[in-house]
Amino acid sequence: MKAVFISFYEAFYDEVLEVLDRHGVNGFTSWPTVYGRGSETGEPHYGTHAWPTTNAAVLAFMDDAKVAPLLKSLHELDLSAEQQGLRAFVLQAEEMTDRM
Amino acid sequence: MSLYERSVKKPITTALVYLAVIVLGVFSFFKLSVDLLPDMGENILMVITYYNGASAADIENNVSRPLENTLNGVSDLKHITSYSRENLSFIMMEYEYGVDIDEATNDVRDKLNMVTSSLPDDAGTPFIFKFSAEDLPIMVLTVKAQESMNALYKILDDRVASPLSRINGVGTVSIAGAPQREIQVYCDPYKLESYGMSIESISAVIASENRNTPTGNIDIGSRTYSMRVEGEFSDATQLRDMIIGHYNGQDVYLRDVAVVKDTIQERMLEAYNDGVQGGMIVVQKQSGANSVAISNAVLAKLPELQAELPSDVIITPLVNTSDNIVNTVNSLKETIIITLLLVVAVVLFFLGRWRATIIVAVVIPVSLIASLIYLWISGNTLNIISLSSLSIAIGLVVDDAIVVLENITTHITRGTKPKPAAIFATSEVSVSIVASTLVIFAVFIPLTMTSGMAGILFKQLGWMISIIIFISLMASMSLTPMLSSVLLRLNPEHGRVYRILYSPVEKFLSALDRWYAGVLGWALLHRRWIVLGAAAIVVFALMLIPRIPTEFFPTMDNARLSITVNFPIGTRIEQSRAFAKEFTKHLQENYPEILGTNFSVGQADDSNLFGMLQTNGEYVVSFNIKLKSKVDRTRGVLELADGIRADLAEYPEIRTYAVGLGSGMSSQSSVDLEIYGYDFAETDAIAAEFASRMRKVEGCTEVSISRDEYTPEIEVEFDREKLIQNGLSTTTAATYIRNRFNGAIASYYREDGEEYDIRVRYAPEFRNSVESIENILIYNNAGRGIRVGEVGRVVEKLTPPTIERKDRQRLVTVSCIVGKGAVLSDIVAAAERELSQMDVPADILTNVGGTYEDQQDAFKDLFTMMLLIVILVYIVIAAQFESFTYPFVIMFSVPFGFAGVLFGFFLTKTALGVMALIGLIMLIGIVVKNGIVLIDYTILCRERGMKLYDAVVTAGRSRLRPILMTTCTTVFGMIPLALGRGEGAEMWNSLGMAVAWGLTFSTVVTLLLIPVIYSIFADFGLKRQDRISARKSEA
Repeated sequence: MKAVFISFYEAFYDEVLEVLDRHGVNGFTSWPTVYGRGSETGEPHYGTHAWPTTNAAVLAFMDDAKVAPLLKSLHELDLSAEQQGLRAFVLQAEEMTDRM
Repeated sequence: MSLYERSVKKPITTALVYLAVIVLGVFSFFKLSVDLLPDMGENILMVITYYNGASAADIENNVSRPLENTLNGVSDLKHITSYSRENLSFIMMEYEYGVDIDEATNDVRDKLNMVTSSLPDDAGTPFIFKFSAEDLPIMVLTVKAQESMNALYKILDDRVASPLSRINGVGTVSIAGAPQREIQVYCDPYKLESYGMSIESISAVIASENRNTPTGNIDIGSRTYSMRVEGEFSDATQLRDMIIGHYNGQDVYLRDVAVVKDTIQERMLEAYNDGVQGGMIVVQKQSGANSVAISNAVLAKLPELQAELPSDVIITPLVNTSDNIVNTVNSLKETIIITLLLVVAVVLFFLGRWRATIIVAVVIPVSLIASLIYLWISGNTLNIISLSSLSIAIGLVVDDAIVVLENITTHITRGTKPKPAAIFATSEVSVSIVASTLVIFAVFIPLTMTSGMAGILFKQLGWMISIIIFISLMASMSLTPMLSSVLLRLNPEHGRVYRILYSPVEKFLSALDRWYAGVLGWALLHRRWIVLGAAAIVVFALMLIPRIPTEFFPTMDNARLSITVNFPIGTRIEQSRAFAKEFTKHLQENYPEILGTNFSVGQADDSNLFGMLQTNGEYVVSFNIKLKSKVDRTRGVLELADGIRADLAEYPEIRTYAVGLGSGMSSQSSVDLEIYGYDFAETDAIAAEFASRMRKVEGCTEVSISRDEYTPEIEVEFDREKLIQNGLSTTTAATYIRNRFNGAIASYYREDGEEYDIRVRYAPEFRNSVESIENILIYNNAGRGIRVGEVGRVVEKLTPPTIERKDRQRLVTVSCIVGKGAVLSDIVAAAERELSQMDVPADILTNVGGTYEDQQDAFKDLFTMMLLIVILVYIVIAAQFESFTYPFVIMFSVPFGFAGVLFGFFLTKTALGVMALIGLIMLIGIVVKNGIVLIDYTILCRERGMKLYDAVVTAGRSRLRPILMTTCTTVFGMIPLALGRGEGAEMWNSLGMAVAWGLTFSTVVTLLLIPVIYSIFADFGLKRQDRISARKSEA
C-alpha cells in the first residue's frame, strides 16, 4: 500500500479530485488551505500580501498498482498549467489492519 | 461560502438577482418625477402686520422694531429683514437651509403671541406667511384678443381657468390683464348739486332697488305658497330708468344726473403680447406637485380649450418652466450616454478584447440603474444633481471591475481554468478593492453632511455616488467573477482582425511601459531635482490663486428674460404703455433670438395673486421675454441682457430699470453693498455716491439702490376745528372724497351666476384737477353741503419711502449686477476698492453681501469639508497599509490635483465656483487611488525580496497600464460634463473641468513623484534599520 501526498495550487482542487475518482482512488484526506513553497522553481503560496495564493493538499492511500497511472495523470494536470504548481510524492504506507 | 464563490457557482441566481435589480431600477425610472434641482425646502417666513394710518417711521418704531427684537431670538435664524412702509410692516426671516420650517413657524407664532399685546391698539394681528420657490408660477400663458377684449375675463375664467384648475396638481390659476366687467355710474357733480343729491344717496337707492326679498308664505285653499319680490335688475339698462328722487315735484331719473355704462374696470393691469392687447393666465402648482407633468397636462389640454374659444382669442404659452427642466434633463441624459460610450471605448482600447470589455461595461448600467431605486424610495427626483451624479460615477464604477478582471485574466493566462480562477483571483484582490472603495466613501459620505444651500444640493450627490460605488463594488465581487467564469476562455484564440487592429495598440502600450520604466529609473537617480521641480509646480500654482476668478454658481441660460422699467412715480399709464409698445417693436427688430414678448402695465387688481408678487403701478412696465433655446442661438442670455440694458439706458425718461434672468439659481450674480446707518440723508448720500462710482466699473452692468425716492402724493389736510364746527368728522369727509374718486360699490349686478360691481362715482372728466377735489360737497347731518375747500386744503406732499432694516438696523442696499464676461470676485474687488476711496463716517457700517455672502458661506463650508475629507482619506489609507508613512507619501498627489485644477482654470479663464470646489473635493479621493495602486505593488515587490530600486521600477512598469486605464476612464468620463454645451450645462461644466484637469495633471506628476518620495522614505527606513542592527551587533 502506498500513500500519495499531493500539494497543489488551490484552484486545482476539483480537478485533482476528479483524477482520483478516475483512477478509482476512494480514500483520501484533504486540507483545502495549506501554505508552502516549491523546492526549486515553485513560487511561495503563503496567503499573504506579497504571496496571496494558497495551496491545497491531498493525502490519498491506495494499492501499489494504482500509483503509477495516477501519477501520470497528475503530471499531465501539472503540465496543463505549469506556473500554478502541482507536486505529488509517494510514501510507503501501512493500514492498521495489516499488522493485526 | 464567500460572495464571489457563491456567485461563480450559481451563475443563474447571480444573473437573475442583477436582472431583478435592473427591472426595479427601470420601474423606478418611469416612476420618478423630473425637476430642475433637488427639493430645497422652505427657508423664509414672513410676518405681515397692518397698521392703518401709520406712517413708515411710526410703523418702524411701533411695530417692526418690537417684532424684530422678539423674533430675533428664534433658533437657526440667519437674517431678519424688515420693511416698514405706510400702513404695513413686513418682516422677512431667512433661516438656514434645511431647517424644519414647521417647527420654525411654531416658534415664531409663540414669540408673536408674547409680543402682540404690546403692539399699538389699532395695529392688526401679525400673521405668518410661508414663502417657497414652489409659489412661483410654473407657467404663464398669454392671450391675444381683439373683439372679445371686454368679455375676456369671463371667457378666460369660464373656459380656460376653471378647466385648467381641475387638472391634478394645479394650484391657483389666475387671470391678469383681462379687465373685469363693471357697471359704471358716472355722475355729473353739477347736476347732483342742483338736484340736491349725492353719490351716497344714489348708491343707497341703487342698493335698495337691486334686491330680491322673500316676503313670507301665503295659504291659498289647501296649498301654501312662498312669496318673493324680485327687484334685481335683469338688464343693466334698467338702472338708467330708475327713479332716484324728486325735485320740485318731478321725478328724477338716474339718467338725468348720470351716465350708466355696462363696461369694464377703469384701472387695471393691461397685458400686451407681441404688442397686441390681451391677458395673461398664470398657473401655479400645488406644493410638492410635479411641474413637468402639470405643464404637459396643461399643454395637452390647450388645443381642446382653444377650440371652445371665440376665434379672435388665441392662447400661447410664454413661460413654461418645464421647458427648461426637460431640456436640461435631456441634455444630461445625452451627456450620460456619451460618457458611457467613451468609457467603454477606453476600456476596449486598454483591454483589446470585447469579452473582457463587456464584463467590465456591464457593471456601469447595473450600478447606475440600481441607484435610481434609491432615488425613487427616498422620494427624490431626476434633477441636475442626481443625473450629474450618474455621469460622474460612470468613470469611477469600472475601476473595481477592472482590477478584478485583470487579476482573473492573469490567473487564466497562468493556466487556471476560468471558474476557479474567477473565485481565487477575486478573493486575492477583494481587500484592496474594498479599501479603494472606502476611500471614495471617505469623500462622498461627508458630502452628505454639508450644511446650508450647498448642503441641500450635495447631500443627494453624496448619497447617489456612495450608493453607485457600493453597488459597483458588490457587482465587481459577484457579477464580474461570474461573467468572467462564463465568458473568458482558457486559451483565447485571437482572430486576424484582432491582430491587425490591436497589435499596434499593444505595441504602443508596451513601448509606453518600457519608456516609463526608463524615465522612472532616471528619476530615482535624480530625486532631488524631481522633488524640487514638484515643489516649484505647487508654489507656482499657489501663486495663480489670486488671479483665478471666483463665483458662486454659474449663471444658467434658461432662455428667459424679464425687464422691469420704472418711470418717475406718477407717470400716466398712456405714457408707460406707449413706451412699452415702442420698445417691444425695438426688441422684435433688433433681437431675432426673441420668440415672444409680453408686457404688463398698470395697477394690478387686489385679487390678482401673481400681480401682487411683483411691483406694479401705472408707471411700471414689466416685460417677459421668451428666447430661442440656448443651443439655437449664438448670443448668450447675459449678452442679450447687457444689450437690452444698453438700449434702456438711452431713454432719459426712465427712472430705473432692471433686467433679470428669471428666478432662483438662474439669477445673475450680484454684489450687494449693505450700508447700515440711522440717518436717511447720510446713508442715501453714501449709497448714491457708491452707485455712481460702481456704474463706471467695467463688468458691472446694473446698479440699483434699494431705497426708493420720496413719492409725490396729493394729500387733503382737513382743519379739524372747521370740520367740527360744520358737524363733520375726518372719516366722513374722507369717505366722501373716496366715494367720488375711487367710487362707491353700490350693489352687484348678477348675470349667469356671476356678480359684477355697480360702481357709482364722478365721471372721469370731473376728477382730473385739484379744484375738482376742493369742490366736492360734503353733506353734514343737518343736510347742509360744505365744500372740501372750505374745511381743508389740498397739498402735494412727498411721502418717505419704505424703511428697510436688516438684523435690526436701518439699511440701504446698493446691488451691482455682474455682467457678461465679468466675474463675482472682480466686482467684489472693485466694490471694495471704490469703498475704500470714499469718505464713510464712522457711525455708518458697510458690508458686502448678496451672492458674495452666499459664496463665502458655501466656500467656508466646503473648505472645512475638504479638511475633514483629507483626514478621513488619510485614516482609510493608513488602515489599509497599517502605516503612518505610506498614506503620507500617497497623499502627496492631492496638492498636484489642486495644482492641475488651478492651471486648468487659469488657462481656460474659468471662474471657480461651488461646483468646481465639489470637483476639488472629489479629486482628493480620486487622485490617491493611483498612489495606492502604485505603492501597494511596490511594497509587494519588496516583500517578494526585490531591492528597493528594482521594486519601485518593476511596480511602476507593471502598474502603469491599470493606472492609465482607470485614470482615462475617469477623465474621459468627465470630458462630456466639462465640454457640454446643452441647456443647463453651465452648471456642471466647471465640475467636469476640475476633475479632468486635476486628475490628468496629478497622474502625470505622481507617476514620477510618488515613487521618488516613496524611495526617499524607504531609504530612511533602511538606514535606520542598518543603524539599529549595527548597534545591536556592537552590543
